[in-house]
Amino acid sequence: MNVATLRARAGGGPARLAAVAVLVVLAGCAGLVAGPAVELADVLDVLRGGGDPTARHIVLRLRAPRTLVALAAGASLGLAGLVLQSALRNPLAGPEVTGVTPGAVLGAVTATGLGLAGWESPAAVVAAACLGGFAGAGLLWLLAGRRQGDPEQTAVYGVLVSAVLAGLTAMVLLVAPGQLGSVVQWLVGSTEGRVWAHWSLLWPWALGWTAAALLLAAPLTLLRCGDEQAAAAGLHTVRGRAAALVCAVALTAGAVAAVGALGFVGLLVPHLALAVFGADLRTALPGAALLGALVVGGADAAAQALSRVLADALGADRLTLPAGALTTCVGAALLLVVARRRTEER
Amino acid sequence: MTGRPAAVLCLALPGLAGALSALCLGTPAVPPTGLLHALGGDGMEGVVVGELRLPRLVLALVAGACLGAAGLVLQEALRNALAVPEMLGVSSGAALGVAAPLVLSLTVPAAVQPFLAVGGAAFGGALTLLAAGLGRSPSAVLLTGAAVAAALQAGLLVLMVMADQLDLQLIYRYLLGSLSARTWPDVTGLGPWLVVAVPALVLCAPVLGVLRLGDDDARALGVRAVRARVAALAIAILLIAPVVAVCGPVAWVGFLAPHLARRLRPDGGAATWVAWSAACGAVVVLLADQPARLLLAPTEVPVGAWTALVGVPAGVILLGVGRRRPRGADVPVARVAPVDREPEPASLRKGER
Repeated sequence: MNVATLRARAGGGPARLAAVAVLVVLAGCAGLVAGPAVELADVLDVLRGGGDPTARHIVLRLRAPRTLVALAAGASLGLAGLVLQSALRNPLAGPEVTGVTPGAVLGAVTATGLGLAGWESPAAVVAAACLGGFAGAGLLWLLAGRRQGDPEQTAVYGVLVSAVLAGLTAMVLLVAPGQLGSVVQWLVGSTEGRVWAHWSLLWPWALGWTAAALLLAAPLTLLRCGDEQAAAAGLHTVRGRAAALVCAVALTAGAVAAVGALGFVGLLVPHLALAVFGADLRTALPGAALLGALVVGGADAAAQALSRVLADALGADRLTLPAGALTTCVGAALLLVVARRRTEER
Repeated sequence: MTGRPAAVLCLALPGLAGALSALCLGTPAVPPTGLLHALGGDGMEGVVVGELRLPRLVLALVAGACLGAAGLVLQEALRNALAVPEMLGVSSGAALGVAAPLVLSLTVPAAVQPFLAVGGAAFGGALTLLAAGLGRSPSAVLLTGAAVAAALQAGLLVLMVMADQLDLQLIYRYLLGSLSARTWPDVTGLGPWLVVAVPALVLCAPVLGVLRLGDDDARALGVRAVRARVAALAIAILLIAPVVAVCGPVAWVGFLAPHLARRLRPDGGAATWVAWSAACGAVVVLLADQPARLLLAPTEVPVGAWTALVGVPAGVILLGVGRRRPRGADVPVARVAPVDREPEPASLRKGER
């Protein structure tokens, strides 16, 4: 049974979007329930308006914003990945591979290390991450700009740019070693300890750029067909691509500033979205956002549940699994499957 | 820049300058003329030069040579100009081996301690080889290596989140690769490994030249391609693992050195390149160690940060220059067949049909 028949059975695009949206809500609920210290019944109590103050604090002040931040960041990353892959016509162009994520991490770390930003001024972190993301993408543009035709070439240059940026991040951390503890969250990708301040910063940014990305669906669909056809259809390809890149970088920077570099989300979620929703970007773009939210929200809930189980089993109370480790693990497993399939094809 | 004398000069001059700066500069500064005297004497300068700077110099040369040679073996065996030691899961495995006991505060007997990193490195490498079906196809090895490295990285992330501030600094420094405070025991610890790895490398070098022609041609010439590739990968792991255990993964030396070697000796074969790549690696690490030691003194910058910052752009330029030249029979792996394209999403393929 191939994907087409599956798709025919599952109904049209809107139906599938709705199904994924329901799954996202479920993942959010799981995130509310999964953490330690408060049981399911207490969570329900709190949601009904009751519960003791401690439970209320944990659920409403800690778990709810954390879950929402995870969902929004995941949506941003998934969307940014699909926009990048469509605009560059490159199935390998995740934000991790094009230097955007490492650049954003570098920006955030530098701003924190220089004392320009910190927990008190999260807006400065977003701005710095944005600048860094643009710098990373710009570096790649400089390196690979002339030979843009070859997707693999661009991906290779992206990996190299990422290495340089990671080296710079290391230098910054060495100059300001005291900051290492507080910036390791950006290196790792974790939803630990995100509060309403993060959410109120993230959602307007994510919403605005998501709207922009959805408006770009038509030009992106043309760009996917190739520059010549897009130009023949009346699209200003350079302008269209630049707009798409700005949008993708902004989305990534917002997500990185909020949750750090979550591995593989921006690279693999778009492939999932294209497989589920088809190549029509008008449904695939919102689909990628929903799937990204689902993946990161699910990873967050799973990480909480797992660290709870592990802490019980091992008796270690400071054991916490970061969501980034989980997404990286799953991404690695998927990569192994791909590698396996390639060997068998030969 | 052709011809052997010119190439030797290109490598020897920076190497010599690096060695002199490694022995003379720093606190206290020893004038080059006073080096022999200081080494013979018992004073503070003698201790500093003989017990601190000399082992560090030797370690930089040995580590660079191992990484450079391993990089070339990988690139030739996998027929890919971007196959780097970092992509085999070896470095991540070693890092995990070092970090795990530190963070989980496991008590490890002192005798076992040096083997933790080597064990981790060998584990990562073996995992990659096994998962890739023992080297059936070069591209599968690279992809699988990336996956294994990512998975081990995830384990490392968990440890980094759990670690406290001091452990974290230690791990981070180790992860970048540093030569600071390594003394003679560290250098001599590499000896037994080299005794095994170097003869194996010499035996393997001629086969590398055949592997480069492609599996079919290699088979026609009487080489069992899969077996030869597994052997080459095992040798590369054997070269990388002890170095990573002592200095940490010094990044991108294994990427830069082979390209330098090919540029210096465009007329050579695989066997020549192995030697030249080792020499280039040694010089690169030695040169990178000087700013690491001196620039922000008294703070040490890990040498790996410099090799990444300088090595990657340099390697990219070398790759670019190599490609712009007309492709002759003697411009071999400079043809990039790098990261494998993932299969396109099913929806796209369907649309084309």
